[in-house]
Amino acid sequence: MSIKDKVPVTILTGFLGSGKTTLLNRILSEEHGKRIAVIENEYGEVGIDQGLVINADEEVFEMSNGCICCTVRGDLIRVLGNLMKRRDKFDYVLVETTGLADPGPVAQTFFMDEEISSEFTLDGIVTLVDAAHIDQQLGRSDESSEQVAFADVLVLNKTDLVSDDALDTLESRLRDMNRMTRIIRAENAKVPIETVLNLSAFDLDQILKRRPTFLEPEYPFEWTGVYDLEPGKYELILEEGPDPEMSLVAIVNQGESEEELKDGAESSVRLYAENANTLEPGNTVPYGEHVNLKLENKGNKSFILNIEKPSKIGLFTQHTAEEFNMKVIKSDENKEIPFNTERFWQAEHEHDDEVGSIAIERFGDVDPEKLNTWMGRLLSEKGVDIFRTKGFISYSGNPRRIVFQGVHMLFTAQPDKEWGNEPRRNQLVFIGRNLNEKEMQEGFDKCLI
Amino acid sequence: MPDIEPFSPRGMFHEGWTAEVSDYAIACGWALKGKQFIVGDVAGGIFAFEGDTGKIIWKKENTHSGGLLAMAIHPEGEIFATSGQDGNVQICNCHEGKVIKTLDLGKGWVEHLKWSNDGLFLAIATSKKVYVFNEIGEEKWISEDHPSTVSAITWSNKNELATACYGRVTFFDIVNNKTNQKLEWQGSLVSMELSPDGDIVACGSQDNSVHFWRRSTGMDAEMTGYPGKPSHLSFDDSGKLLATSGSERITVWSFIGNGPEGTMPGELCHHTEPISSLAFSNKGMLVASGSRDGSVVASFLKNDGNGDPVGAAFAGDLVGAISWRPDDCALAAVNAKGVVNVWKFKVRTNLFSKGFK
Repeated sequence: MSIKDKVPVTILTGFLGSGKTTLLNRILSEEHGKRIAVIENEYGEVGIDQGLVINADEEVFEMSNGCICCTVRGDLIRVLGNLMKRRDKFDYVLVETTGLADPGPVAQTFFMDEEISSEFTLDGIVTLVDAAHIDQQLGRSDESSEQVAFADVLVLNKTDLVSDDALDTLESRLRDMNRMTRIIRAENAKVPIETVLNLSAFDLDQILKRRPTFLEPEYPFEWTGVYDLEPGKYELILEEGPDPEMSLVAIVNQGESEEELKDGAESSVRLYAENANTLEPGNTVPYGEHVNLKLENKGNKSFILNIEKPSKIGLFTQHTAEEFNMKVIKSDENKEIPFNTERFWQAEHEHDDEVGSIAIERFGDVDPEKLNTWMGRLLSEKGVDIFRTKGFISYSGNPRRIVFQGVHMLFTAQPDKEWGNEPRRNQLVFIGRNLNEKEMQEGFDKCLI
Repeated sequence: MPDIEPFSPRGMFHEGWTAEVSDYAIACGWALKGKQFIVGDVAGGIFAFEGDTGKIIWKKENTHSGGLLAMAIHPEGEIFATSGQDGNVQICNCHEGKVIKTLDLGKGWVEHLKWSNDGLFLAIATSKKVYVFNEIGEEKWISEDHPSTVSAITWSNKNELATACYGRVTFFDIVNNKTNQKLEWQGSLVSMELSPDGDIVACGSQDNSVHFWRRSTGMDAEMTGYPGKPSHLSFDDSGKLLATSGSERITVWSFIGNGPEGTMPGELCHHTEPISSLAFSNKGMLVASGSRDGSVVASFLKNDGNGDPVGAAFAGDLVGAISWRPDDCALAAVNAKGVVNVWKFKVRTNLFSKGFK
């Protein structure tokens, strides 16, 4: 049976009081043409209005091998096993878990049980979060951070009870914990249905279309501009901005393709790691060096760029050019030279929570055997702490890219579309608890050919 | 739809009759000593056909709101019981299908029904509880709550009932309200069969293994290596062979000698998709198997569990249940499209017309 014939399943998680039943009723009462079967574990005070609703007590079944990754939900197997005989009655399944449910076994059920996985496909995990209380809940319970970590969509509900500033802070905290999730703000669980159903959340192309940067590593700079410059003297002019200083690296012969930009970014990361030389306004910007521009003075500040032969100069700046209205002016003609290409990067910031995301992105091919060995070891050692894995890989010798995704130790890898002319590369995201980014990146690098 | 091409009955299977019910057929069985064949569909339709011709005798729809979950025909074949998502059990008369008694057991799904061999008791499992009623629907016994939903029940002798759930099998003396034995093992048991003498307890487990115990010695063993969970198990009438599902193959364990521990099971590879139903004949070493691919095969087994197919037929779609007629001279299969097939089962020469010997 192809994935198109399988019945999609959305898992709805969230603490008691986060608005799950309200959202469920909203979904059921809206005109979307779907016939939805609901499996409910929590019998809230608010009843479910309509639809095919089946109540089942949560039953978590661990296996004799003691592996938490093999743990499944017996109640779901039973109910879905019956539902699969009634496929003419519904075309979508929603599973509403209790506030304290561990999403792991729920998701694993769709991988571990052959009968279930042959008929149903996990479409996505939607987690509702009570904007006013989640901060405390995250501190107190593992369940709430795991529900955030597993989510494909986080509905930040009850935003009317919280200030915009607090919401921004909360959103960036949640984003740190789970970088592949989509965050939607809502009052009274009012969200467009298409943001929670039929996500194909396990489809990477969809995610990349929505948030092209989700798989990217974080960089110490937010912006790059590439300028095509003839020989001569130029001024880099910055107006007043949000900070009294800004780090910068200037690279000579910076290419403009995505691959060349990423290469430039990799070199800049290394340069950023070195101590910065402070430049006062009027100083000349050196190439291939980490500098820190002093920007305390009022008004425009100007730094010098000297070009000896025609060259493309890449400026990798800590903040975006827009924030300081940064311009490059040819001195003798007093003419602004616009950038040819610009590129924004995912900026790095502090991580407070134990739960977080790690992204690995590398161009080139990997050796399938080495990768299998590495992933196998990683998942057997850290599978308990790795909640979700998504990514795609370029196997040497294989014309198709390999898409894979997993829940704890379980993962599936399958050939996807052909690479064609696209540069071959690898992108992986791991979401988990206390993951060591450097170690994982080094491990992956050893699998590259 | 199955990927295999339809084919005419082969070997010992011969054209019999076909009929249709309203929805996905999940349960079937022979009543009135083979004179009647009763089929239940998932929506709660119950249909009774003439055993020889397939002519409809009576039918009723929507017997259980929410749908049917189980059906069991009394060993004498005069009455039968059905249960469903509505939390009810109905005891009905086979001749007209009339309800003799309705038992309301609450909100939970009633998933399992088993008559004791002498027909005096009906065991009923719903959620974590098991009930025993007599033939006329009087309550005789209720269990305490099990640790999880009860996944299988079966009678080990006329007063002793075995129940399986997550982590254990329990034997209850339902007349004296006593727990006779508890067999524990950490795993989710999804199916259970007892050997005819009641000594061997076999359970399919969610972790793709078969676990069994010998009650007399307390020895237990785990048979691993299945690609899927063994939801269907069947012992032959002598208790020598246990046929198990769990993939497109039938795996047969032989209890002869010191086996099956340390022995290789017999393997029958007749189907292209996983086995969806399995039943030994009432007498002898014939096992019938139905598959998701719609094929039905009867195999004659040797003592080591290996064997050869003696007949095959095509049921059209996923085989929901199969049932040998009490004299083993016909086999019935019902499928996911609600189609009922009954084939005559006999050798192709006219020398033996009394079935398989």
